[in-house]
Formats: sequence, structure tokens, C-alpha cells
Amino acid sequence: MHIMEGFLPWEWCLVWWIISTPFLYLGIIGLQNVMKDNREFLPLLGVCGAFIFILSALKLPSVSGSSSHPTGTGLSTICFGVFVTSIIASIVLLFQALLLAHGGLSVLGANIFSMAIAGPLVAYGVYTSLKNTSISIYITVFLTCATADLTTYIITSLQLALAYPAMVGGILSSFIAFLSIFAVTQLPLAIVEGCILALVFKYIMQLKPEMLIKLKVFSEKKIQEATSLEGSF
Amino acid sequence: MTTSFFANRSLEIITLVAILLFITLFLITSFGGEHEFRGTDDLGSELVAELTGMTVDEYDPLIPQYEPPSKEIEALLFALQASFGALLLGLIFGYWLGQRKTES
Repeated sequence: MHIMEGFLPWEWCLVWWIISTPFLYLGIIGLQNVMKDNREFLPLLGVCGAFIFILSALKLPSVSGSSSHPTGTGLSTICFGVFVTSIIASIVLLFQALLLAHGGLSVLGANIFSMAIAGPLVAYGVYTSLKNTSISIYITVFLTCATADLTTYIITSLQLALAYPAMVGGILSSFIAFLSIFAVTQLPLAIVEGCILALVFKYIMQLKPEMLIKLKVFSEKKIQEATSLEGSF
Repeated sequence: MTTSFFANRSLEIITLVAILLFITLFLITSFGGEHEFRGTDDLGSELVAELTGMTVDEYDPLIPQYEPPSKEIEALLFALQASFGALLLGLIFGYWLGQRKTES
């Protein structure tokens, strides 16, 4: 999902930086809150961050004959929300921009918006609309994580399409062209990512249910049901 | 405690099946024709070049940046990133498992 350095006109770089900055500001406040007042949640934050680090380092081959990164932002979105997630994902993106030439400093704002903000934001919508329904926790986590991953790539396509409308068909036709590169490759990756993170969530729930209840990630009743009921999943 | 930890493994099985299916699809694709499995980031850049009628090399970084001198160095840095995450993960889950043991 990285837009490469130099491949976005500076006007657009500026636009995405301006849009991303308030999220990062709120993210820093959220992170400070966890660091200062809720230190008991730091290990969970570490686990969520670790998955963003691991998954976004892996370039996986896909059915389309090209390779792409998963994002891993869904788990953190569920546990800590959009803003804190945006900071963790931005750290990874900064690392990749500075040392790996994946993305760059001028396009960092755009890449932060797609991976660290838009993906988590849409995923958070999926999560909040499902969390209090009768839908299983695991399906909720799966859908949330897969959505975060896939949305990131849809937004990247949109960002490139906005900057480079096609001669014929304009923004829409170039959006479809970019989607056919990014989204098709990403769909199987998003599904696998969703499964893995749902599994990780199961282990967190078994080891530290009280932490998830305290963070109001899911209702106490739902978590108790999921950890005690056998055969439901 | 131990029963709930080991009794229910369907999510593990589903995940395993998903991964195996993914590998199968990858094998079918890679044996089914000429595929280079290049990064989508580069493919995206190429499409940008195609849309603007320029070549990829004509795009210069707006802000000068460090580029890993070789693919090996790049692989090293990605491996470091992943291993940092894995280290943190092992540390925390180990800590939680230990905590749980002392509690019970």
C-alpha cells in the first residue's frame, strides 16, 4: 500500500499530511493516557503493536501473481481505537520510509492516512456495529481485521486515482485500474490476516479476559460466554 | 482452566485451513504461468507512470531518501522489523502465561 516517494505531487502530499495531523495529535494524547494512567494495559498495547510490526514486515505472494503487505492494524483498533492505532502504525511507516525506501517522507502523510487512519477508521465502524449483536466475537474480530487491511488498499487506490485521473474515464477509471492491482492481491491476504488475528484474540481472551472487559472491548457476558462455552467456535 | 484452553480448537483448524488454502492458491498460481510476484507498490508506481506517459525512472523523490544498497539489506531490515515484533509478542505472552500460573 505504500505510495512510493516522488509518486505523489506535492499538493497531494500536503493535503494528506493536513488530514492526517489531527488524528496523530489525538493519537499522541490517547497514547499518553495509556502510558500515564493505564499502565496495566501496556502489555496489551505491546501485543497489538507487535502484530502491526510483524504483519507489515511480511510481503506475501498472492493469487494475482504479485506480492503485498498485510497491515495488522485491526487488533489494535479493536482494543485501543483508531487514534492510538494511528500512532503505532505511523511508527512502522516511518521506519519503512526512512530505512527501507518503502514510501518516503513526502508521501508519509498519504501512507499514514491509508494504513494508520482510514483502515482503522472503517474497521472501527464494522467493530462497533457488530460488538453488541449476537454475532460471535471471533467473526467480529475477523471481519474487523480483514476490513482494516482491505480498506487500506482501497484508500491507496483512491489516493492515486485522485492524483492521476485517467485521460479517458477520469478518476473512476483510474481508481478501478489501481484497485485491480491493489485490492485483488489484497483480498486473500486480508482473509488470512483476519483468521490469524481472530485466533490471537482468542488467546488474549483466554489469558487476560479481565483486561478486555475493563477496556470494554466486548461486554463481560459475551467474553464469558466465549471463554466458557465449548463448541460455539 | 486447562479444559477450556485445550477443549476447543475449531478456530485453530479454520486458520490452518485458510493458510493451507492460501499456500495452495499460491502454488497453483506460480506453476500456472509466468508470475514474478513483484510488490504491488512497484506495480502501482508503474501504473502511475503509464497514466502520465512518463517512465518510472523519471520520478525523483521529493525529499531525498536512504535506499537499502541491495535486496539483501532490505530483507535484513524487514526481518529485523518482524523479529522485533515477534520478540515483544513472545515476551508478553510468556509474561501472561507465567502470571496465570502463579495465580492458580
